[in-house]
Amino acid sequence: MNAILTLTNVTKSFQHKTAVNNVSFSIGQGEVVAILGPNGAGKTTTISMILGLLKPTAGEIRLFNLEPHEKQVREKIGTMLQEVSVMTGLKVREILQLIRSYYPKPLDLEELINLTGLTEQDLKTRAEKLSGGQKRRLSFALALAGNPELIIFDEPTVGMDITSRNRFWHTVRALTEQGKTIIFSTHYLQEADDAADRIFLFKDGSIVADGTPQQIKARISKQSVSFIVDPELSLEKLYLHSEIDDIYRKDNRVYVQSTNTDRVLELIFQEKIGARDIQIERGKLEEAFEQLTGNDKEAI
Amino acid sequence: MKVFQMQCKTEIIRVLRNRYFVFWSLVMPILFYYIFTNVVNKNAPDLAEWQAHYLMSMTVFSVMGSSMMTLGIRMVQERSQGWSTFIRITPLSDGVYFAAQMVGQSVIHAFSITIIFIAGALINDVSLTAAEWVMSGAWILLGSLPFLAIGTLVGMMKKVETAAGVSNVLYMVLAITGGLWMPLEIMPKMMQAIGKWLPSYNFGNGAWEIVRGNMPDWKNILVLIAYLVLFMLLSKYIRRKQEAV
Ligand SMILES: Nc1ncnc2c1ncn2[C@@H]1O[C@H](COP(=O)(O)OP(=O)(O)OP(=O)(O)O)[C@@H](O)[C@H]1O
Ligand SMILES: [Mg+2]
Repeated sequence: MNAILTLTNVTKSFQHKTAVNNVSFSIGQGEVVAILGPNGAGKTTTISMILGLLKPTAGEIRLFNLEPHEKQVREKIGTMLQEVSVMTGLKVREILQLIRSYYPKPLDLEELINLTGLTEQDLKTRAEKLSGGQKRRLSFALALAGNPELIIFDEPTVGMDITSRNRFWHTVRALTEQGKTIIFSTHYLQEADDAADRIFLFKDGSIVADGTPQQIKARISKQSVSFIVDPELSLEKLYLHSEIDDIYRKDNRVYVQSTNTDRVLELIFQEKIGARDIQIERGKLEEAFEQLTGNDKEAI
Repeated sequence: MKVFQMQCKTEIIRVLRNRYFVFWSLVMPILFYYIFTNVVNKNAPDLAEWQAHYLMSMTVFSVMGSSMMTLGIRMVQERSQGWSTFIRITPLSDGVYFAAQMVGQSVIHAFSITIIFIAGALINDVSLTAAEWVMSGAWILLGSLPFLAIGTLVGMMKKVETAAGVSNVLYMVLAITGGLWMPLEIMPKMMQAIGKWLPSYNFGNGAWEIVRGNMPDWKNILVLIAYLVLFMLLSKYIRRKQEAV
């Protein structure tokens, strides 16, 4: 695969703090990558370095085989920063026209409006008078204005209502189908699970996990089968099977933990314990996230 | 080229939509002009000359203010609100951005000069020769350069409030001590001696000489150039220091 973006041993230190610590990865064309991690994990710092806004203390960043600050790079990227800002004194339509004029092959204004859901009313409004969510929409439109090949969003959906959010992800899907490469950070794990085909999990400035959502979830390998059963019934019989790692009760349900859930199902029927409402509990991204980014004392 | 034009046009639209600009750079100078030539000092010995002199004072006052404040405060605003960060990610080059701001600002100045001159001609029938109108207008346009450089210095401040406060005070002090409100001749000797070396006096004096049928003094030109160089060096120095962090 063609690498569009490569980070090699990138580190960024501020006076008293190493925000990003020896991070390396490579992203190919058409990938949709989610950057996850708790507050202060180094997501925005990493994105800022990719965008050429911050210089790495050490290491190298290459975009389209060029340095981040070069003009040819800027013509091919679009971005929505974590802190949305707009130009005051101009109507939305005027700002869009202005920013489009910076790029060699900008996106059609009509298309831009359709993609981002800006309304006729929004277009006539002065940027400083937009609501928070409307500003986000404008900021989304500005990110797409130059018809970029690589799009980077830092927490794009914060402050969007459900309609805007759905529309945003709908548009992102359409963009991926066109072969665009997309990198986004988010605190909504469901978004990463749904939209990304690759997840970077950041913790304390390092990447602690890199893989598909499935792979990341599999890392916690804590699958279980849960069911409802007569509380009087003893589950002694199940314990005798070595495939079962643990059994516990929670919220009126019994959870049977095992790496082989198929075998657990077999056992449940074999032992005729009268289980009802049986469910297979796959690892959730939340659990993986908590486990992988949790405090060190938990991990020990 | 298309980018440059678009950027200039945008800068001009934004200034014209700014209420502070319209008030401080157009309404106030014209109002002052009316008051000082028709209410306060209507029995000057050579009335026609006084009216022309004061028209120049107010035009200089207007252009000096928008050079120092409009540009500078907007620079601080754009930086503190993060818009400059966004612009840095786009392919727009710093050079084009800066040039467009300067050209846009100059077009605005040409516009202010024309409006205030027309106001003077209408209010007091100020009549100068065509050459005098054009020359004094051109002087004010070019003489604003050191003040635009002050504007970029103001633009390096961190907070909008500081930038607005500092530039306002500087603006008023320079206007008064440079003799733009009251002629320098009626001030104490000490003030006169200092005033003669300030950029505002030298800016004004060039225009005053032109409407008296003279040429601007060489000294006026040299002092303004010296200030321009000084402020540009200072702004370069500060920028380098800020970037190093
Ligand atoms: N300019 C700076 N100077 C000093 N420290 C900084 C600076 N910018 C970021 N940091 C520190 O670097 C660390 C990483 O910050 P960063 O903004 O990258 O986090 P993040 O993962 O984006 O967090 P969030 O989810 O809250 O947006 C934080 O501890 C932050 O305090
Ligand atoms: Mg962040």
